[in-house]
Amino acid sequence: MSLEIRNIDLHYRKRQVLHQISFHLEPGEFCALLGPNGSGKSTLTKALLGLAPVSGGSVLFEGVDLLSLSRVERAKRIAYVPQSSPVPFDLRVYDAVLLGRSPYAGVRYAPADHQATLRSLEKLGLLELSDRYVNELSGGQLQRVQIARAFAQGTRILLLDEPTSALDLRYQVETMRLVREFTREGGIALMAVHDLNHAARYCNRSVMISDGHLVADGAPGEVFTSQTLSRVFDFPIDVSHGDGLVTVRPAESDHEIHVPSEWPAHRAAPRGQPNRFVEARA
Amino acid sequence: MALAELTAADLAVARNARRQQWTTVLIALSVAALALLTVYSTLKGTTSYSLADLGTALHQAAFGGELARDDQRVANVLLHLRLPRVLLAIFSGALLSLAGAAMQGLLRNPLVSPYTLGLSPAAGFGAALAILLSQSAGTAAGPYISLSAIFFSLLCSLVVLGLASTKSMNITVLILLGTALTSIFTALTAGLQYIANDEAIAAIARWTFGSVNEARWSHVVVLLVTLVVIAPYFMLRAGAVNSLAFAGDDTAKSLGVNVGVLRVSLIFLAVTGSSLVVSFIGVVGFVGLVGPHIARLIVGSDHRYLFPFSMVTGGFLLLLADTLGRLVLPPRVIPVGIVVALVGAPLFIYLILRKRNAL
Repeated sequence: MSLEIRNIDLHYRKRQVLHQISFHLEPGEFCALLGPNGSGKSTLTKALLGLAPVSGGSVLFEGVDLLSLSRVERAKRIAYVPQSSPVPFDLRVYDAVLLGRSPYAGVRYAPADHQATLRSLEKLGLLELSDRYVNELSGGQLQRVQIARAFAQGTRILLLDEPTSALDLRYQVETMRLVREFTREGGIALMAVHDLNHAARYCNRSVMISDGHLVADGAPGEVFTSQTLSRVFDFPIDVSHGDGLVTVRPAESDHEIHVPSEWPAHRAAPRGQPNRFVEARA
Repeated sequence: MALAELTAADLAVARNARRQQWTTVLIALSVAALALLTVYSTLKGTTSYSLADLGTALHQAAFGGELARDDQRVANVLLHLRLPRVLLAIFSGALLSLAGAAMQGLLRNPLVSPYTLGLSPAAGFGAALAILLSQSAGTAAGPYISLSAIFFSLLCSLVVLGLASTKSMNITVLILLGTALTSIFTALTAGLQYIANDEAIAAIARWTFGSVNEARWSHVVVLLVTLVVIAPYFMLRAGAVNSLAFAGDDTAKSLGVNVGVLRVSLIFLAVTGSSLVVSFIGVVGFVGLVGPHIARLIVGSDHRYLFPFSMVTGGFLLLLADTLGRLVLPPRVIPVGIVVALVGAPLFIYLILRKRNAL
């Protein structure tokens, strides 16, 4: 049932952008995809969605390679939440969420499609807004609509590309909680995100990418170390562990941090390590 | 608690169902309005006729038979002048408006129309070239104008689409290429006018006004067949166009839509249909732009309703403009292209200004 990403290579105009990316995610894992701008996070997200053609590798889920499926079949297994962007035409919230049913619908939507749409609207507390036009909504509400659409798609896997980057704190937290809820019900979520503290707080897994290479993989509590983060972001970063929480902040001058020139020993931690968040809940 | 949740969901379902019923009623009403205008426009003119005259004419067309000399004259006017003209206006408007609705959705830009790709200046150049060449060869220009116009407008669209596809159909690239091609063909037409004599210049000008004065049954049949062939395909793809228009390229792809094929195939059909229209009636602007906007105001942006309704509004708009053009200054007939621009441009300005959000 796990999502296995195996040896993904991707070239863009002869330049290799992703190098042998491999990791797998289990149901219940909310994985933060971390790395500096231009490290290949978005490219990896697009590759997994089949939007950017890979030059090698596979993405296995339930025994099939998602990349070899037709678009429609892939859309039934993996849903995507982009950064929120304005909609050029008037569209009601209900219809925006109903779009998530398009992989299943022919020319007309079936009653089951409307039921899935309603369940998704209800889950995200959007029923009262269902007649409003999406352009009238705030950025946070619009992002909720996008998540509702992805939920309505009825997939087990959710890919999110920096969905919180344009949101204020309340909506950032709300988005993280919604996705965590999705994984607690057995879903798999991979979210490109910039806020390391949010990642540490809400995700139970993280993978870090630097220059198109996977450089760290494991629970945030284990791989979020000052050494690793400083190296990945090429910038001195201080990490403190306390009260079961990991806190990340840029290091100030009185607090010398050595940015290592070599990768720390726990690079690309092997699978099967204890996962604190899952254990804490169990 | 469970009851309250159920009620909220039920209300959402009920509202959605009511909206769909209302949309269906609106479409039925507007089709009825178009039918009424069609009959009115067929009967009214420099000389007006009665419904009975039209009935007699149609009966003769369908079942044959002899008519009195006066009745035969009336029947001829109705069958060979009025009806083809009225139907040509409707089908032209419907095709341009359907093409406009599709292009706006596919390019995610409410300001584009079939002419965005530079199709109409290209057609204008084709027509001007045919007029000049046939004049110097001493032959009748008629059929060559249409052929040359459609050739150049298709050529222009293919060049724009081909070049844009090397940039993965980027929308900004597409619109800029259209602008560039517009400049080229406008300059070429101006060059032709510079070397043409007065007679040819007048002919070129008449063509660029856009008019259904020269309507023929053959034109009507070609456009009707085109509509019957392409409209169902547009309807079939309306759901995919929704995904693309509302959610953007990447999300539409993640919803299972083959965005490249969808965009290229529908835009190709849209420009082919528009080129046909332009080659028959000349350049008629604004229908492809305003028709979809009026439709959107009434039934909303869901392309499953927008596509059929755009055909109704486009046909209605062009027929209304032609009817006005015939009735305002009788016996003069103001070309439909002029009337539609005079009516359409202010309407378009109003639509832009009333938008809640910047376009």
